[in-house]
Amino acid sequence: MPRYGFVIDLKRCYGCYSCQVACKAANHTPRGIDWARCVPAETGSFPAALRQMVPLICQQCAEPECLKVCPTGATTQDENGIVHVDKDLCMGCKYCIQACPYGARQTVDGWQTYFPDAEGDLDPYEAYAKARWEEKNGYGMATKCDYCMDRVKEGRDPACAEACPAKARYFGDLEDPESEVSILIRRERGFQLNPEFGTDPSCYYLPPR
Amino acid sequence: MIPNLKAQSKWRWLIAAYLFLAGLGGGAYVTGVVADFLGGEWAGMARIGIALGFPCVLVGCIFLMADLGTPKNFWRAAMRPNTSWIARGTIIITVFMILGLIHVAFWLWPFKGLAEATGARHFLGVLGTLFAFGTMIYTGVLLGAARPIAFWSTAMLPLLFLVSALSTGIMAVVLVASFAAETHAGAIHSLARIDTVLIILEMFVLVFYLQATHRVPESRASAELLLRGAWAPLFWWGVAILGLIVPLLLDLFGVSSVAGARAAVFAVPASLCGIAGGLFLRQVVLAGGIHAPLRAGRFEVALPIV
Repeated sequence: MPRYGFVIDLKRCYGCYSCQVACKAANHTPRGIDWARCVPAETGSFPAALRQMVPLICQQCAEPECLKVCPTGATTQDENGIVHVDKDLCMGCKYCIQACPYGARQTVDGWQTYFPDAEGDLDPYEAYAKARWEEKNGYGMATKCDYCMDRVKEGRDPACAEACPAKARYFGDLEDPESEVSILIRRERGFQLNPEFGTDPSCYYLPPR
Repeated sequence: MIPNLKAQSKWRWLIAAYLFLAGLGGGAYVTGVVADFLGGEWAGMARIGIALGFPCVLVGCIFLMADLGTPKNFWRAAMRPNTSWIARGTIIITVFMILGLIHVAFWLWPFKGLAEATGARHFLGVLGTLFAFGTMIYTGVLLGAARPIAFWSTAMLPLLFLVSALSTGIMAVVLVASFAAETHAGAIHSLARIDTVLIILEMFVLVFYLQATHRVPESRASAELLLRGAWAPLFWWGVAILGLIVPLLLDLFGVSSVAGARAAVFAVPASLCGIAGGLFLRQVVLAGGIHAPLRAGRFEVALPIV
């Protein structure tokens, strides 16, 4: 069984937000929900200050905190490491949102239009997105990134990896020592976010220059 | 340097009210059971305390359900007790409510004969007390299981909530007893005295709790938010002065200067202030919860949505 994982190369990312937009387009997420996002970070102070964009997605932890705290059984982990929320089982207690160290889980109360000034009904594209969101996710329950499992099953990469123009995102199998992601993690000293929580994320980052 | 650590915004007043009422109900019930064991002039207190347990916790649970995003699935809350503290808590609270309801029934019409069965009532009281303590302590453990929020994830929080729960529980019993005809003034007096000790204890626990925040930047930011930041007015006026100092002074004055019937003159305002302080304490602890920043090598970033 593969263990799906990401490698995000910080020295290649220049913060164009393509991943964030591609995720929205692929998953029809409503306003206020971004499963993939890009956040600016700084360290040091002048004249030795550094800026860095940090792309974030669900880290698909091997030991997920969200799974541990979920009281309903709505959260499950597949054998390939992907953590899912069953929208029909979640009661929306938001415990997982508090427990996730990576801010990967989000919830909205309803669909807010992207074009509040427009008159009349939603335009057909937004109406389509709303219908797709309600079909696969919904309002009130926890939602999260699943590494675009529908696309992966079709043999494609997740939307954010496919869209990245800087080639900063690699998707692959962490179990396979010869996969591109495994080789990159070994060769370029890949690290995980907040290792102190013992979650063992499936998302690795390659250090900036 | 960590920029702009923001407090969590998902759990607000509804959850604070739930944590508060679960604590108060548990505390009142334990007070009632202890009074029941003492008997004699405490008989009135016993009924009031035991009767308060079930409805307070029930109303608390209604607040909790009102906060759910998809309330139709509320009945699934106890499906994963092996790992989730919400599931474990749901079981503890449900058992407590069932025991509390049975206990009240001992004094009600169709079961009135059971009131004579002292042994059975005491056994039920001991069992209920176990679950009452479970309820009071669990409200702190529940928050503590959210590990990225260091302000909650500390062993001091269950202790703080336990002491506050016992204190507000006693005050709720005193409040109701002050208006009830059948209660003995001497019992109110004694409860006010016990409450004085609990308030002083709670002050110490609160100081230790805040002192224990110094280890990591996110919990230091939490303490900052409470002591000097946006929640400082509610913390200092609502929790420290209204919730602790005022009831302590009133209780001390009432206990030392007047005995007997006039103790209620001080007991009522002291209880009202102390109970409000208990609610404010839950709210500032919730509102002060700040997630650990993301650590990507040398870079630290605040979570973008919390």
